[in-house]
Amino acid sequence: MKALQVSRVTKSYGSTEVLRGVSLSLEPGERVALMGPSGSGKSTLLNCIGGIDRPDTGTIEISGVALGGLDEDGLCRVRRETVSTVFQFFHLLPTLSVRENVEFPLQLQGLSVKERDARVDGLIEEVGLSHRASAMPHELSGGEMQRVAIARALAIEPRLILADEPTGNLDSATGEAILDLLASLSERHGIAMLVVTHSPQVTRICRRTLEMRDGLLLGQEE
Amino acid sequence: MSVPSPSSRPASIGGVLWSRLIWRHWKREPALTATLAGILALGVAVFLAVRLANKAAVSGFGLFTESISGESDLLLRPRSGFFETSVLRDLREISGKRPVDFFPVLELSGAVQTGAEKPDGDLLRFVGVDLVAIGNAIGQSEEAGEGVGFSAEEGEPGLLGVTDACLVGEAFARARGVAKDDRLRVWINDRVADLRIAGILPDPANRPAIPENLVLMDLPALQKVSGETGRISRIEIRFPEGKAEGGIRAAASEGLAAWAQERGHLLETPEDRKASVTRMSAAFRLNLTILSGLALLVGIYLIMQAMEAAVTKRRGEIAILRSLGVTPDQIRRTWLTEAAVLGLVGGVLGIVLGRLLAEGLVGGIAATVNTLYYETTTDAVRLHPGEAAFSLVFGLIASLVAGWIPAREAALTPPSQALRQGAQGGGLVWLRRWPVGLVLFAAAVGVARLPALTFGEGTNFPLGGYLAALLAVLGASVFLGGLFPPFARLIGWGRGEAMRRYAASRLRAVGGRHRLTAAGLSVAIGMSAAMAILVASFEKTLTSWIGQLLKADLYVAAPGSASVANGNRLAEVDWRALLSLPGIDGADTLQRHAVTYEGRELLIGGAAYHDDPSRHLQLLWIEAPAVIGPDALETGGAWVSEPFARRYAKRSGDRLTLPTPSGPREVTIEGVYADYGNEAGTVLVSRRLAEEWFDDRSVSNLAIYTSPGVDPEAVLESIRGRFPALVTRTNEKLREESIRIFHQTFAVTYALEAIAVVIAVAGLGLALAGLLLERRNELATLRALGATRRDIARAAMWEGLGIALAGLAGGLAVSFFLGWILIGVINPQSFGWTLRYAVPWGMFVFLSGVTLATAALVAWTVGYRNANLKSDREE
Repeated sequence: MKALQVSRVTKSYGSTEVLRGVSLSLEPGERVALMGPSGSGKSTLLNCIGGIDRPDTGTIEISGVALGGLDEDGLCRVRRETVSTVFQFFHLLPTLSVRENVEFPLQLQGLSVKERDARVDGLIEEVGLSHRASAMPHELSGGEMQRVAIARALAIEPRLILADEPTGNLDSATGEAILDLLASLSERHGIAMLVVTHSPQVTRICRRTLEMRDGLLLGQEE
Repeated sequence: MSVPSPSSRPASIGGVLWSRLIWRHWKREPALTATLAGILALGVAVFLAVRLANKAAVSGFGLFTESISGESDLLLRPRSGFFETSVLRDLREISGKRPVDFFPVLELSGAVQTGAEKPDGDLLRFVGVDLVAIGNAIGQSEEAGEGVGFSAEEGEPGLLGVTDACLVGEAFARARGVAKDDRLRVWINDRVADLRIAGILPDPANRPAIPENLVLMDLPALQKVSGETGRISRIEIRFPEGKAEGGIRAAASEGLAAWAQERGHLLETPEDRKASVTRMSAAFRLNLTILSGLALLVGIYLIMQAMEAAVTKRRGEIAILRSLGVTPDQIRRTWLTEAAVLGLVGGVLGIVLGRLLAEGLVGGIAATVNTLYYETTTDAVRLHPGEAAFSLVFGLIASLVAGWIPAREAALTPPSQALRQGAQGGGLVWLRRWPVGLVLFAAAVGVARLPALTFGEGTNFPLGGYLAALLAVLGASVFLGGLFPPFARLIGWGRGEAMRRYAASRLRAVGGRHRLTAAGLSVAIGMSAAMAILVASFEKTLTSWIGQLLKADLYVAAPGSASVANGNRLAEVDWRALLSLPGIDGADTLQRHAVTYEGRELLIGGAAYHDDPSRHLQLLWIEAPAVIGPDALETGGAWVSEPFARRYAKRSGDRLTLPTPSGPREVTIEGVYADYGNEAGTVLVSRRLAEEWFDDRSVSNLAIYTSPGVDPEAVLESIRGRFPALVTRTNEKLREESIRIFHQTFAVTYALEAIAVVIAVAGLGLALAGLLLERRNELATLRALGATRRDIARAAMWEGLGIALAGLAGGLAVSFFLGWILIGVINPQSFGWTLRYAVPWGMFVFLSGVTLATAALVAWTVGYRNANLKSDREE
């Protein structure tokens, strides 16, 4: 079963066609870079895959679950249990500590305190922030914030991570370190990853690179 | 008002700033802007409504009856009792050949007799006028080209010289379903009369409507049916237009004034008379007006909160403008302009709303004035331009005060875009310094001890009390900032629920918006809870007072005795016959007479108590006399009520000179007793003395003690059978009635408090909506993490509950102090009543429950509606 299967997805805002029949698929554990200029539809595609937005036509399946048949609560459940997002601006919840940010999606899942503690401690250690577990987001550097965001994304043990310009707000050295971390964690946990980026550096951790222009993938898979 | 259209090209930097900073944001968030203007409008509306209703509720007094002859120039009345008709001869003598018209008026209270059931509550005002004199005057004025109060065509036919004819107004006929030629069985003084309605008077065009309880009769006819032969209540004096100008008029007035002074009578203009009467209820109405400002005060907090949030949100934008050379002063002016425009829009809306709201309030206020002070009839609510302008200015000032601090915050923004990152922090640093709240509290305690400001004629204004209340409320607003951390810990307790913990984390990092919203809520809750303390204390005191006072088995009164203004009495022959009925062991009797003492109305009561020391009226003493017992007053001393003692700073041992029809009488005060029945003040002497002073052996009230073993109900029935027009109640029924009247007097206050709490809770919803709008990116993150709409609504609910808890705790805490100010300072200084402090715990639980439940519901709804706000993140 594929980690992600997107078939002929279209999306328009008013008279503007943003996605014009996009199709792609990811195998479990596979990392794919999605490149393209601003306005080409990358983020819209990511929103549709993440269940934040709904496509006009076409289908999206994550680990065999078709998103089109799900209601709002069903989509929320997918985001809670199956797919995680890593953002360019990290989007940590500003009033929660590092530990609480990582723990938050597990609380949404309703896991017990014991289960949460075991998983959160391990993840914070994996991203190298054990010493900053009780720090607040505004006390962290950009690289540290992104590490927290990655740990939070991994916390639910997703099948798929969507990363939207994960190094776009970081200096190049930190960006490299974050990419290495993403690659190693995705490999270790067997998680597929779709990385939207402008940066050619990102392609080094991906098996494939797709390019998007005017709402279409170049050399699109059929 | 001129608001630049977005498409117009702004001509100045002020216009640019207005257009970019304010107008566009208003357009982007029309609901928020409308809500802000709406809050202000409601505040202004409540304020204006109470002022208009106050005016309408007391404007009915005397406006018709005091100038029945048209526009009187002067009113002559005795300090107590009646004039004899012969006084007219004296007046004509002293005015000589000067053109002066005298219109004698007899005014009496009475009731429609509706059988044994309840003649009480339908108090009538009988006015007897000299139709011949008025007819003459009408003839003269028509020659002078001027109209008067009512015309000869309406008044004369069928009335002149007919003893059983009367005229009533349209409102009277409507209310009682009567028409011309119907008959009315009425009780006047101690007599029952059968009157024919000779005509229905239409309401005059340019004067207040004819009161609903007015019955107009020919003077001799009223004198005859009431038994007041040869007596008149007052004389209206008019100088005919065109005949008594300048010097003649002044000379006539001087002559009359000298004559009146020599004989101890009162000569006033109708305006003076109205002012002196309405002054009696001034304290009550002022308290209502101040309470009505409460809604506006809550509104100030909410406007401040919303504008502070707008400054915080637009701080990046302001920083850019500053970096482009816009001065702090220009920024400040722009924000103040926003506040001013909001104030104007809200003010104008408030005037419209206030006019409508006043209709609802006027009845309640008039009922209270009727019960506690004097007889009034409501006038139609009219929008006085002066009142509207005053309310508009008040709303504008409130808005500018609310806008001042945010405007200052905006002007202090440094010209650096780096601030954008920290823009969420919020301003209003002063609100974070909760110890400042304690300092304000301390100041409040100090100010509360200031004595009342005293104006002429025994009117006191508790300035210190009001200032202390304001300082305490401000203190609570600041202090409650310190309550958020513990409440955040309480809400985030344990590690269970994700959204509850998230909300708690938000409450740990509160900004000015949270604090101001909670402050607004604390003001509303604080004042409402303080009023609840006042009402509970009043009720407790009253219940205990009534319990001590009402020892008799049955109470009998002349009709209309619920109102202190009532002058109805039982003739001696009647009350003696009543007391001789079988089963009656004895009675306390009381006669009441209204007199004018130092420019204000005063009741002189003549009391005679049951012989048995264990079975007579027991007063509640503030200063107990040396001798208490049935004969205590027989030595010639006087007991005065507490409101009288406080108003005129009198105590036991002081001498008083009382105006009576038989001349000034001196008495020594021997005791001061609590009296929560009226605020006018009462001087109690023995009935024997009062009978002598007033040449009157009737009584107005009887407290009857039945013989041992006799069923009071059986005696009650026999009294009703024999005297169907009298108001008769058992002890239990009178207690119930007293408590009912008590609650009725607080009806308007309850409504005002409810409005303030509703505004505050609406403000909570507004604040949360604004907060969620600011956190739209965070909401998107929550959704990306799998939070449902209901999850986000739950987080908003917990956050709203946190704010409400802080406001509630601050409000309830300050209410104990405010309650003390109301009971220990404002109430004794304004009304002269000593009350026992009581806390209505049940009411507090109810208020807390309703506030928290409503806050939770509002917050959940706001959260649910805003959960799907689109993020403003760029691609």
